[in-house]
Amino acid sequence: MAALSILSAPAGADDDASAALARVLAELRQRVGKSVVALEVARDSDPQGTGRAGAVAAHRDYLNRPAGPCSGVIYEPDGFIVTSYFNVSGVLKKNGIKVTLHDGTEHRGELLGFDERRDIALVKIDAAGLPALPRAAPEEIVQGAFAAALGRAPDPAAPTINVGIVSAVNRMKNAAVQTDAEMNYGNTGGALVTLKGALIGVCCNIKPDAHWGQSGGIGFACKASEIDKLLPRLKKGEKIDPELRPHLGIRVGEGNPEVQGVHVAQVEKDGPAEKAGMKDGDVIVELDGRKIEDFEELREALLAKKVGDEVTLKVKRPRGPKEFEDKALKAKLDGRPDE
Amino acid sequence: MISLVSLVLAAAANQDADVEKVLEFEKKVRACVEKAKPAYVFFGQGSGVCISPDGWVLTNFHVAGDRDGQKVRLTGGRRFVADVVGFDPHGDISLCKLQGAKDLPFCELGDSDALEVGQTVIAVGNPFMLGNTSWEPTITLGIVSALHRYMDNPGYFDAIQTDAQINPGNSGGPLITLDGKVVGINGRIDIKRFMNRVNTGIGYAIPSRQIERYMKAFKEGGRALEGCILGITVGECGDERYENVGRYGDGVFVAGVTDGTPGARAGFQPGDIITEIEGYRIGNLNRFHGVAGNWPQGETVGVRVRRAGGTVALRAYLGDPAQVLAREVTLLPADPGFRPAPDERAPGVRLAEVLKNGPAEKAGLKAGDVLRAAEGKLLRNWEDLKAVLKEKKPGEAVKLRVAREGKESELELTLPAPPPPKTRE
Repeated sequence: MAALSILSAPAGADDDASAALARVLAELRQRVGKSVVALEVARDSDPQGTGRAGAVAAHRDYLNRPAGPCSGVIYEPDGFIVTSYFNVSGVLKKNGIKVTLHDGTEHRGELLGFDERRDIALVKIDAAGLPALPRAAPEEIVQGAFAAALGRAPDPAAPTINVGIVSAVNRMKNAAVQTDAEMNYGNTGGALVTLKGALIGVCCNIKPDAHWGQSGGIGFACKASEIDKLLPRLKKGEKIDPELRPHLGIRVGEGNPEVQGVHVAQVEKDGPAEKAGMKDGDVIVELDGRKIEDFEELREALLAKKVGDEVTLKVKRPRGPKEFEDKALKAKLDGRPDE
Repeated sequence: MISLVSLVLAAAANQDADVEKVLEFEKKVRACVEKAKPAYVFFGQGSGVCISPDGWVLTNFHVAGDRDGQKVRLTGGRRFVADVVGFDPHGDISLCKLQGAKDLPFCELGDSDALEVGQTVIAVGNPFMLGNTSWEPTITLGIVSALHRYMDNPGYFDAIQTDAQINPGNSGGPLITLDGKVVGINGRIDIKRFMNRVNTGIGYAIPSRQIERYMKAFKEGGRALEGCILGITVGECGDERYENVGRYGDGVFVAGVTDGTPGARAGFQPGDIITEIEGYRIGNLNRFHGVAGNWPQGETVGVRVRRAGGTVALRAYLGDPAQVLAREVTLLPADPGFRPAPDERAPGVRLAEVLKNGPAEKAGLKAGDVLRAAEGKLLRNWEDLKAVLKEKKPGEAVKLRVAREGKESELELTLPAPPPPKTRE
């Protein structure tokens, strides 16, 4: 889309840029395309779903998954390929991953480890000397910078290139960048690169149940810097569980507008808040000296803490329509899977 | 071999030169992002944009409605409370003021009339609330796909169409040209699937020129009303059921004019073909309604019509004068409980309506009465009375001289007391 915007910009200085962009993209498609591989994945039927959400999820995963190849990125020269976890999720057939390189050679891929939350997976093929991509420098990854998404679908023999900009740099808890380069089932798992061909990240989070849908101008790529950190664990075959997030154990509701804060509708049984002596109807107004005026602020304050931290909460407990008793409670945060 | 190497080197050099050219363009986009981003406002489940250092914020009516005390955040998370001052439900714009704001980053309004199809634009928004907690808005890039799109309900009657991706949560956010100016407020998309409101490359923005023309009405407060020419019946040129109505694209033809209406007073005649309003070419009915809606009611616009082989220039009042007056009454410090008639005949102010149980009714006024004087000042027209009432505070009394059935009498109207301070129970 961005390509179009330059291509059809009003006559003037940008004319040059538009023709230049076309040439840059053509060259990127050839050069970076060599580092993007096609994956064909064979699955067994899975009437129970993938274990979490039952038959509905199974339906989405199997029936709504379009036929044809998807994409992966050569991450290290000796056969390590990173793709979107969605591409290789489900119950795979034995030897169910076929990897086709740019030159048409086919390899059997083995799924090593994956991270469901960040939506990435590591696949190993028996090969060496593969063309891995250089990583983009942090200063190249800024809002408004051009970015191209490369995939190898629908035809493994020819890469697809979509261009857009970096829409945001801090998404999915800072694990991903957001781009308006159009993303679909086929190029998810492929490479998001700068116009110089440096890897920004691996395209991911385009799933049937993502409410941003496909090709809606909202796509994500798990940052290469994030993948680098996880790579040793993925190589060991680790299935990385979602991180535990500090958890207080309350349900938030609407309450007496006389007090600005977070109105606790319900305290979860045996949760940290209950153990600290919090009651339904309490209004949280401060956490460790930080003023809390709404739910977003409480969330931010909690995310800055670690599981196991003890926090001091100032609450106002209703004693009448306009009377409150101030309480200071100490709660030891427990952890809950991040979603 | 050597030539092959030099060829490869030459190709690489060309590639670098091409990349540099594109990066030059990218620089403009990034500069625009740097300017636009700090002025972005996270507005509930939608977006807004700050257009002045003292905190005037534009958003969609379907985002902000007419409510006061809404919690908003700027890029980076700084909090403000926004009060809606003026709004246009049909045109889908709300103008808000941020409480206690000063020296805020802002983007001024640009000139949407200067847009060209194909021009690069960016949209700033918060689709699917992805930016909540990080308070980093989403930037999408695209072009102006078309201008002057007409849709109803809500009335995007002169919309900019763009392929910069706009999704749920972008509503109320700005569409920005590369010079960093707001040329539109994004608010509507065409979608492909039921329940999944994801962009298809077709988004619509309300143009800045239209918003500018409503700005006075918005800042006065309350609901703004869209302009329209009342009292004329119009049809599409080239309609085969009629004779002498031109060809499609000529304009719109006037089939009939109702006596005593703004259309009749403007001098429209049956058979006229309206070809232009305020310099905007009128090609069909949608464009006619679209251009008229570019101004709020109460304004007067220049209209060109084709008549008897020549062209005639007319001045047409937009909207219903009675409605415009009623709006002015509601903007007074205290509503006196009557609605003046747009009466140009007699000196004084004739009352079109007296509200039930209102202060005017309690003072003994009736519809049809003519107010001759207020506080001892003779009244020529509504403007005179308005000047008197503007000086009055809620709860104060106004002395009025009233003419009814040829007799004049004095009475006193007590304006309603100020509403009690808001208590939160």
